[in-house]
Amino acid sequence: MSDPFLLLGIARRPLLDREAIGSAYRKLAGQLHPDQASGDTLKFRELSEAADTLKDPSRRLRELAGGSASSSGGSLPPEAADLFPKVAGVLQQADSILEKQGAATNALAKALLLTPLKKAAEDLESILSLLESWKSTLNQELHRLDQEWTAERTAEGTPSPSTITALGLLSDSFTYAGRWELQLRNRKLALEATLG
Amino acid sequence: MIAGIDLGTTNSLIGVYDSGFATLLADTEGNRLTPSVVFYGENKEGPDQVLVGREASRMQAIHPERTISSVKRLIGRRHGEEGTEGLPGTKGATVTIACAGRVLTPEEVSSEILKKLKAIAEERLGTLVNRAVITVPAYFNDAQRAATRKAGELAGFTVERILSEPTAAALAYGLDRLAENSKVAVYDLGGGTFDLSILQLDNGVFQVLSTHGDTHLGGDDLDEVIADLLASKAGLDGLKEPSVGARIRLREAARTAKESLSDEDSTVVRLPFFEGGESLEIPLTRHEIETVCAPIIRRTLHLCNRALEDAGLSASQLDEVIMVGGSTRMPLVRKLASEIFGKEPNLTQHPDEAVALGAILQGAILEGNLQNVALLDVTPLSLGIETFGGLMNVIIPRNTTIPAKAGEMFTNAVAGQSGMKITVLQGERELAADNWTLGTFEIPFSPSPKGAARVGVQFAIDADGILQVLARDTASGMEQITEIKSAVEVSDEAVEAMLAGSLEHAFEDMDARIFTEARLKAEEMLPAVEAALTQLASELPDTEAKEIRQCAVEVTSALMSKETARLKEALAALDNATQTLATRLIERAMQ
Repeated sequence: MSDPFLLLGIARRPLLDREAIGSAYRKLAGQLHPDQASGDTLKFRELSEAADTLKDPSRRLRELAGGSASSSGGSLPPEAADLFPKVAGVLQQADSILEKQGAATNALAKALLLTPLKKAAEDLESILSLLESWKSTLNQELHRLDQEWTAERTAEGTPSPSTITALGLLSDSFTYAGRWELQLRNRKLALEATLG
Repeated sequence: MIAGIDLGTTNSLIGVYDSGFATLLADTEGNRLTPSVVFYGENKEGPDQVLVGREASRMQAIHPERTISSVKRLIGRRHGEEGTEGLPGTKGATVTIACAGRVLTPEEVSSEILKKLKAIAEERLGTLVNRAVITVPAYFNDAQRAATRKAGELAGFTVERILSEPTAAALAYGLDRLAENSKVAVYDLGGGTFDLSILQLDNGVFQVLSTHGDTHLGGDDLDEVIADLLASKAGLDGLKEPSVGARIRLREAARTAKESLSDEDSTVVRLPFFEGGESLEIPLTRHEIETVCAPIIRRTLHLCNRALEDAGLSASQLDEVIMVGGSTRMPLVRKLASEIFGKEPNLTQHPDEAVALGAILQGAILEGNLQNVALLDVTPLSLGIETFGGLMNVIIPRNTTIPAKAGEMFTNAVAGQSGMKITVLQGERELAADNWTLGTFEIPFSPSPKGAARVGVQFAIDADGILQVLARDTASGMEQITEIKSAVEVSDEAVEAMLAGSLEHAFEDMDARIFTEARLKAEEMLPAVEAALTQLASELPDTEAKEIRQCAVEVTSALMSKETARLKEALAALDNATQTLATRLIERAMQ
């Protein structure tokens, strides 16, 4: 797979602006889309894939860390290990209540489920705010590593091995945060849809 | 020349790109809208066997049993899915329609509408029109898109593109704003479907960021509830099974009333000689229809939120909310949309014409007549395969820009396994069985210990949204490529046999089925009543509790006696007696 930074013409660094990636992508995608005279399906797909990689902090950092393998060797970062049982718990709670709600066909059975539904939504909300605060520490770390990366590149031409390792670890944390956020938000929307 | 076609649930349009302009073509009477209604005459071979559009609409009142409308709601669907209730056929088979002694597929009926549009265009232009871009709701799945394409081919078109309706509408909106960079939502509520798409417009590039929708939510559903309201206001509630003709007249009247109540505050619905009896005059206010329609329109709220979520945007980050589709003429729809997005909706686009104009423009892009404009559309539903344990493993997530390609490695879950069955799925549910199966095929490999076989599965979607699946055993290099063709082809004879069989069974099983339904309801009701009584024990008056218990006892004994009618009656009584109970519970939860 070609270098996503190169494909999009964006400088290699940990911190990137989503809008800037989107903007660079649209400019090139408009020319490469197969409907255009200058179009090329293969190049278009590659470009889309590159933009997706750069937009996702976890995938972007892994790219910078120079590999597809996970750096932490499969073990959870400590904050993730702390959050995981809480996330799994509220997800299970939400699923079970949503399943009951889906199976209920009469007004009485549905009314009975209203209180537990609200409880599940509130629990979900509180875990989401925990996740939010974890994400903000991850973003601080991202800013810090970005500065280190830029400084080392200016001084020595290449980033140090310790920065590379730190990028890999941060990438793992972003993977967990991203996946859990998606799951929690999907359940939240489903709960909101049933609460009306 | 590539024509642009909006094949709508209620109305359809056609047009072409001509000397730099998208132009809609009118029939000889000057109508640009052709009602999506098809009438089948008695004489299968005769010259007037099939009528389409206005002529068919006129026949609908006289021969409802020979007329088909809203066929778009059935296209590409299989029995057992939402919205196919009441149609004859076996679960899992593609839907067919029995009409005027014929067994028709939705594709065939749709192709009649497309033939009519083709004739209108050819008559206007004096030349053959045999290439087309046809629009579909953004949330149509693979089967629905493939069936629409088939309808186009049956009508004699080469279908150059199946295009999503809100994307088309965005193109029509954005064409004279090509230099801008903005984020817009297209709120498309038509006759049968709802879509919400979020796009970024950036110097001629239209990028769809996300889309969500409901293929069974539209003006038809509003007409249904308004028809119910009319029936109840006219005291027709007792009329349990109104004739097909009566139902169609009520729905027609509901639609007319709905349309005039978009401008007026009140109206009078007149139904002369209704059901051969007296003439009805039913006064109706906008407020009344808004009360019954609000719950349906409110269903769009969650879909809007999901689309925003997927686009990673909040409502305040949108520059415009563009309204298209005939149902957005309703003041209530505009009001709810402005509440959802916190801004006044943009009404600059013609609700009936914007989608067709967009289809014409896409045709012009494909022909190279419209340069420096590109549409980047997405796949609306996730695509994946079934993995061990019956779970859906997503390979291409929803809202991925197409054309796209992605792959994953899979391994054998059982030792000694000598092949892998690949089931290709589309949908958002975690359980494979809850998603739509697009196809299955086998990839053989030599028996190996658990986890030793390695099969690469690759999905590729082209700009048309057509999926190609490639599976490859990495050890042997054995390859299997499958182009997913949706909707199983069934021969006419097989369909006839299936219809006959299911009708016979239907009569035998009717009573048993009604009893089973009632039993299931009783089994759900009884524990719920018990739980509610316990929870509300302190605040419930003794008389009410006693009455509810009596009703519950009657349900139990009716269940024992296996008498269908008695059980239904007892359940209705229990339902009635527990109404305030449900209200109390809701109030308590909301405190």
